[in-house]
Amino acid sequence: MSRALALRLEPYFYTAPSLLLIAAIMLVPLVTGLSYAFHDLILLDPLSGDFVGLDHFREMLNDDGFWTALRNTVVWTAVSVALQFGFGLILALLLDRPFPGRGLVQALVFLPWAVPGFLSGLTWAWLFNPVIGPLPHWLHGLGLLATPENILSDPHLALWGPIAANVWWGIPFFAITLLAALQSIPKDIYEAAAMDGAGPLLRFRRVTLPLLAPTIAITVMLRTVWVANFAELIVVMTKGGPADATQILSSYIFTLAFQRLDFGYASAVAAVLLLLLLAYAAAVMVLRHVMTERA
Amino acid sequence: MATITLSNVSKDYGGGPVLRGIDLEIREGEFVALMGPSGCGKSTLLRLIAGLEEPGGGQIRIDGRLVNDVAPKDRDLAMVFQSYALYPHMTVRENMSFALKQRRLPQAEITRAVEGAAAKLGLTALLERKPKALSGGQRQRVAMGRAIVRNPKAFLFDEPLSNLDARLREQMRYEIRKLHRELGATSVYVTHDQVEAMTMADRIVALNDGAIQQVGSPQDLYDNPANLFVAGFLGSPPMNFLDATLAQDGALVVEGQTLARVPPPAGLASDAAVTLGLRPERLALTTPTNSVPTRVDMVEPTGTGRVVHLALGAQRLKLFTMDTRPLAPGETVGLSVPPGAPLLFDPGSGTRVA
Repeated sequence: MSRALALRLEPYFYTAPSLLLIAAIMLVPLVTGLSYAFHDLILLDPLSGDFVGLDHFREMLNDDGFWTALRNTVVWTAVSVALQFGFGLILALLLDRPFPGRGLVQALVFLPWAVPGFLSGLTWAWLFNPVIGPLPHWLHGLGLLATPENILSDPHLALWGPIAANVWWGIPFFAITLLAALQSIPKDIYEAAAMDGAGPLLRFRRVTLPLLAPTIAITVMLRTVWVANFAELIVVMTKGGPADATQILSSYIFTLAFQRLDFGYASAVAAVLLLLLLAYAAAVMVLRHVMTERA
Repeated sequence: MATITLSNVSKDYGGGPVLRGIDLEIREGEFVALMGPSGCGKSTLLRLIAGLEEPGGGQIRIDGRLVNDVAPKDRDLAMVFQSYALYPHMTVRENMSFALKQRRLPQAEITRAVEGAAAKLGLTALLERKPKALSGGQRQRVAMGRAIVRNPKAFLFDEPLSNLDARLREQMRYEIRKLHRELGATSVYVTHDQVEAMTMADRIVALNDGAIQQVGSPQDLYDNPANLFVAGFLGSPPMNFLDATLAQDGALVVEGQTLARVPPPAGLASDAAVTLGLRPERLALTTPTNSVPTRVDMVEPTGTGRVVHLALGAQRLKLFTMDTRPLAPGETVGLSVPPGAPLLFDPGSGTRVA
């Protein structure tokens, strides 16, 4: 082997082990999963397994369950992330200034994050149960509910149950990351702004927000992808019901694959979800690039 | 332009007083340096004037108006921070316009003010850059520019040059001084660097342990320090301090040798122990026969002259000379103390006695 060729190949030898590993643990399952989307694959049907081309995707167009789940995914993700972000930012701002007992409060605030999603789903399901939980009675007392009934069994309201649990559970993530970003802003920049005649509100708008913007962009993007895929709370609290009214795409995929055992169709829906999320992430990246270019 | 008056100002963070009984009048158009070692309270004092801290006691007045409870933004003072504290997400132009925009000045006026200040500071070509694309010296200029566009009542400087290298520092010293002469604005300048205080200030306020040690012109503090702290802080190489006894007839005796004679002071006990302060550059080398013999310990050339370390018995002192005669360690030379050079301090309290 010539020396020049050896030198050309050298880097590939070094990177080969990790590339092979990545291919084995990431690409192989991904490609396998995607290939199911083009096959008729029903676990209990031994005759299935044929290549069906785009049949699953055509089926999806006429599947009400899919469209409901897609709509729910948008509502579920947008509302959950917006509220998690809003409350997380408020908490981070409150925790950024010193007060007696801050250490303890910080620990308490971050507690929901440590609770397994499954467990918090169960707890919230109980909280919404009028027999043992206080929430329906409080909502009734506030005039938000006509009768103290379980909203989880009302097809029009049921999605708000898992959303409430999700907001409670996800606030700490934003609080932690935004607090870290807040604390990395040098104090004297605020002091300079104060000397320059900016009051607290203006300092927040002209100093805090712009300096938090990169963190906000990246955390909101991460959380959006995460929450869109997060089926646990819905599966635990409503099982997608009543009558599939609270299915989001990821819980719908779970139901299709593990209850109807239709792996082929489930994989096709999953492929669509993957595409949607990739498109979303790409859009955010482009937006961020445009914004930093202009700024 | 403003006068700043502090009366009996104190500050306590809970771990003992940081500032005690500060009385100070900063006159209109004056350049005052707050000088002292780190932890002496000079930055805290500046932050109290700025309104970034609240005084524990006493009164702060700007142009006679009590400002203890006035927010920083309403005091109309500009501050240059040690870290520059530029807004990282804004261009130089936006940094410099920020304060003017808060006041809702017309855009044309803002542009004129910013461009005028930029021209004065040599920032014109950098106006559209962000701070991270600037060198340390350029950032420092932007911080200055942000202060001067506002045309404030007074400028506050918090060790503005300490992050620059020695050469740039010297240049900026000159430029700040020149700007002050042009603008004539009241300036309060915090520094731990005696050279900055000496070269820039109309008056120096020497601070130590949260209290004012002495206030006066740089030359006055240099020639007539009120105590050991001020005497030792100003001057490089620093003043020599020797343990001496002062005889009734005015003879200053160090290590058994009469080093100098001073007019017999009143009110001192016979053979009183004193701390004798001698500026290195006021001492002279002679021959050992007609003055006090001392031994050369080390010679440090500085370019302009030499710093000669001398041993006088068990005590050491330094002498600065521009004399070029050869000197070797171990050699015995004569030390001559001209009249007027000795400063006497009380060894216990450190206050000047003569």
